[in-house]
Amino acid sequence: MTLAVWLGSAAPARTVRWLDGALATAAKLDAGAIGLCAGDTGWLDLAADRARHAGIASAGVPTELALDYLGWAQVVAAAARSLGATTVLVDEASRPERAAEVGALAEQIGAVQLTRVIELANDDGGLRAKRLAGGLVQTVRVRGTAVIGVRIAGEPLDEYPTPVPNKSMRRLELGALGLDPSVLAHRALPKRGGSSPRKTVERVADYLAMHVQVTGARTAQRGA
Amino acid sequence: MLVHIDLDGDRPHGASLAALAAGRDVASSWGATLYAAVIAHDPNEKGIGPIESELARGGADKIVVALTDAPITPLWAEVGAAWQAVLDQLRPRVVLFGADAPATAELAARTGARIGARLLMRARAIGIDDVELRDRDGGYARASDGGATVALIGRAGPAQPGEDDIDVVVMTPPSASDDRIELAGTVAAELVNAPAIIALGDDVCAEADVAAHAKKLAALLGAQLVGGPAAVRAGLVAPGAVVDRHTPLAPELCIAVGAIALDLAGAASVIRIGAPGGKHVAGALPGRAATVLGELVELLEASP
Repeated sequence: MTLAVWLGSAAPARTVRWLDGALATAAKLDAGAIGLCAGDTGWLDLAADRARHAGIASAGVPTELALDYLGWAQVVAAAARSLGATTVLVDEASRPERAAEVGALAEQIGAVQLTRVIELANDDGGLRAKRLAGGLVQTVRVRGTAVIGVRIAGEPLDEYPTPVPNKSMRRLELGALGLDPSVLAHRALPKRGGSSPRKTVERVADYLAMHVQVTGARTAQRGA
Repeated sequence: MLVHIDLDGDRPHGASLAALAAGRDVASSWGATLYAAVIAHDPNEKGIGPIESELARGGADKIVVALTDAPITPLWAEVGAAWQAVLDQLRPRVVLFGADAPATAELAARTGARIGARLLMRARAIGIDDVELRDRDGGYARASDGGATVALIGRAGPAQPGEDDIDVVVMTPPSASDDRIELAGTVAAELVNAPAIIALGDDVCAEADVAAHAKKLAALLGAQLVGGPAAVRAGLVAPGAVVDRHTPLAPELCIAVGAIALDLAGAASVIRIGAPGGKHVAGALPGRAATVLGELVELLEASP
């Protein structure tokens, strides 16, 4: 098994704790694991620094592109092939858009997939994973090529040193991966409205209404 | 237009029926045929007649039953092959999932990748004549758009009742479990791993109104109440739901009430109540917590 861990295309939204957790998990599973990221220079420097902290190598795809889940999956698939990775962990906890990249990447490379994994360990030549499925935890054994979305926390960290450019990070250019930026741009993230916080009860209720559970009683009301 | 139907025992899952209701609105507006697809074992074994009736009444134009020998568990490795066969057969332009249906986390994004779709998270159907799908972050799909869409439906209005007698297509794809993944066991998850949490600050736990409204909100959202020592003393949270500022939390949704420090993953959507918002929050209502919670519960209870 050659392991890569996809750290994403932008810095974590709140904390690097889950990024550290994904890297530490990869380091525990495979001493030769490699942390993979894409995006602007500041993010690549941070990712490389946290990978070095976890004791694993790193590779980065420098790009200014802002892509959707499928666009990034194409980039990661090409990078994973270039690195010879047969298993890819995905840090799906650090940013909301990352979870969708697990299935998309698995489809791209023809791998099995697991989402929402909270524990991962080596198991007789394969992996043993625990994943959340609603209110349950499933234990599964994984063999062969796999893409695994992990939400495993590292140690709590209030502050970390400002990362400096890391010369040991392997740079992977899109062209060298066989990817054309102008073609990838077809998967550019659509422009969205502003993301300022909702500040009225009505707007917050409208947002939360998307999370209201549909119970049997409510469903029956619909059908009535 | 295709709706994935998860089962909850021998009935369609409520979240899948909400997706079907949204699909009915969109299909009627766009002039599309609405398929509801169920992955099931031998229909003669348990009988899927009641499921078919419920899907018909829920608005489906046609029902597809994909039979599989694999265990029906929410894992791509188990049901992916059968689902893929449905996709390849129907080639849908729009695929809807219930956002809270069990298999959605495993199937939705991969479905999107397979058909090259844009992905809408927590979406609903809005509009009267020209209905569109719109997600909570402003993404949308309209009849005039090109390309495919996969939407996770988080909310739907009342379904337009359909007819009881509709076409049922039974497929027997050459599907089996992917033996690269083997399910070894299942246990209950710890409370702090709930997909939605309401975190109560020590400063608000003594207020009876906050406790009552928080419990109602938790019931509406299917959320777990969590909190610190004061919440435990007040009997508001279970022993396994005690959190502090270093407890790692990665729910999809967190509503933080009062002054409480949490170590939340970046993927979590956060609403702050009774406290200033700060960075990376989806909403903030800094007024008196009891008042704001009460208004919020009232609005949500009145929502369709």
